[in-house]
Amino acid sequence: MTVAIVGAGLAGLTAATELAALGIDVVVFEARDRVGGRTHGVEVAPGQWADAGAAYLGSRHTELTALISRLGLATTPTSTEGQSRFSLRDGDPVTTDGRFPPVSAVALGELFDLLDEVTAAIRPDAPWESANAAALDAETVTEWVERSVRHADARLFFPLFLGEMMAADPDDISVLHMGFYLASGGGLQFLNAFEGGAQESRVDGGAHQIGELLAAKLGDRLRLSETVRSIAETDASVVLTTDGGTWDAEAVVVAIPPLLADAIEFHPAPPARSGSGVAPGCAIKVQLVYPSPLWRAEGLSGWSVSADGPLLSTVDDSPPGGVGVLTGFVTGAEAKRFGALTADRQRARVLAQTRRLFPSLPDPIGYHRTDWLNDPHSRGCYAALFGPGDWVATGPTLTTPHGRVHWAGTETSTEFFGLMEGAIRSGRRAAAEIAGTR
Amino acid sequence: MSTDLVVDGMIRTFSRVLRSDDVTPDSDFFELGGDSLLATRVLSAVAREFGPELTIGDLLVAPTPSALAKLIEVELS
Repeated sequence: MTVAIVGAGLAGLTAATELAALGIDVVVFEARDRVGGRTHGVEVAPGQWADAGAAYLGSRHTELTALISRLGLATTPTSTEGQSRFSLRDGDPVTTDGRFPPVSAVALGELFDLLDEVTAAIRPDAPWESANAAALDAETVTEWVERSVRHADARLFFPLFLGEMMAADPDDISVLHMGFYLASGGGLQFLNAFEGGAQESRVDGGAHQIGELLAAKLGDRLRLSETVRSIAETDASVVLTTDGGTWDAEAVVVAIPPLLADAIEFHPAPPARSGSGVAPGCAIKVQLVYPSPLWRAEGLSGWSVSADGPLLSTVDDSPPGGVGVLTGFVTGAEAKRFGALTADRQRARVLAQTRRLFPSLPDPIGYHRTDWLNDPHSRGCYAALFGPGDWVATGPTLTTPHGRVHWAGTETSTEFFGLMEGAIRSGRRAAAEIAGTR
Repeated sequence: MSTDLVVDGMIRTFSRVLRSDDVTPDSDFFELGGDSLLATRVLSAVAREFGPELTIGDLLVAPTPSALAKLIEVELS
């Protein structure tokens, strides 16, 4: 009998591919008319692509790296050479050498000391079992900052750091989730770095190709534009009801974000899942296209950080040898405000900010905006944000199969949670669970 | 405070921040793998233990425990 997979993001496609390789019949249901989930390509010039969704990887992302090379894809280093632009205070933006922000280094050191302390207190494989988990999970990061962070410069910089790192509004997450995310991703140092860190490279031609190549091998076992509405377990099988009909399966892998999994009707109902309390990750990505990476001629890296939004940061995501692409990130609380504006108003605000940050650049020849926060098929990006109480309540059953229903998706991976690497690892884990029961 | 005590304090700080057991008075922070993020953690320790608020530029000029200790003493005098 067949194993049904719900969701054709990297987690679901990985699970399907692994099961199919074992000779198991699979069928993959995807609500969108495309695969890839939170990876998605935007064609910035004919044949040239940028990542509208997940983009970066580093050396510790071993499963992703292996998959990329198995599929015959290549990576390209993220370009960070040159000076940065910062708009953190009133007045004109300032230029600095390298990526270090023009704030007190002592203040940042105190902040990083505190974050390191929180991270060191977490059990990354089971954050809900960390010593002091209940207290760490009871407090929001906003409350923690008010209590712990003294230096004004650190308070100024922290929301920007968190927005860039986790696409989180500090009101939305618990201290336990922040510490867990940092620990899960390989620590502050690795997560924060481009060279030698989690943003070292990109997939040449776009990360969306991973899903497309996996999907091509699955062929007609993949059913696009078919939303799963209910999953009901019987004695002998499990019955999925989709927009297209009903399907009998021996097991199911639910490989979608927790907020979307919550919208499926389960019989019997699973124990409290994280979906009920979590908040969507707040990321809106903007791509500004130029005839070439014009900023490089002026010694600029394209990297900028602003406290006066909407773009929290910009980074050079230009395809090698092609057009210039500045990717802008609108994250955290700012993404909620920005997402509520009309498309015209959003564009006007982005262009006005870009003129302030990079006064010598002409207006872009292309503009693309991808709103993950308000996308009904993702409901947030980079990943779901676990608020107070979520980890303690739902962590223990995060990956526990519910009868014939197995759970995948980057939010079910305690390793590299929220990243492409976590998605792939979760898909492999779910496939192994099912293969192991046969 | 004696220079030796400050040098010892800086060796301890470098060792903790760089997770290294090989720090000597003349070890260069950046050659041992220090970057700007880790540098901020040395500077926060200097401020906490000895008082002066130094900059990353200071650490670039005085990247060893002994050179940093001299700089701290100048700041304190």
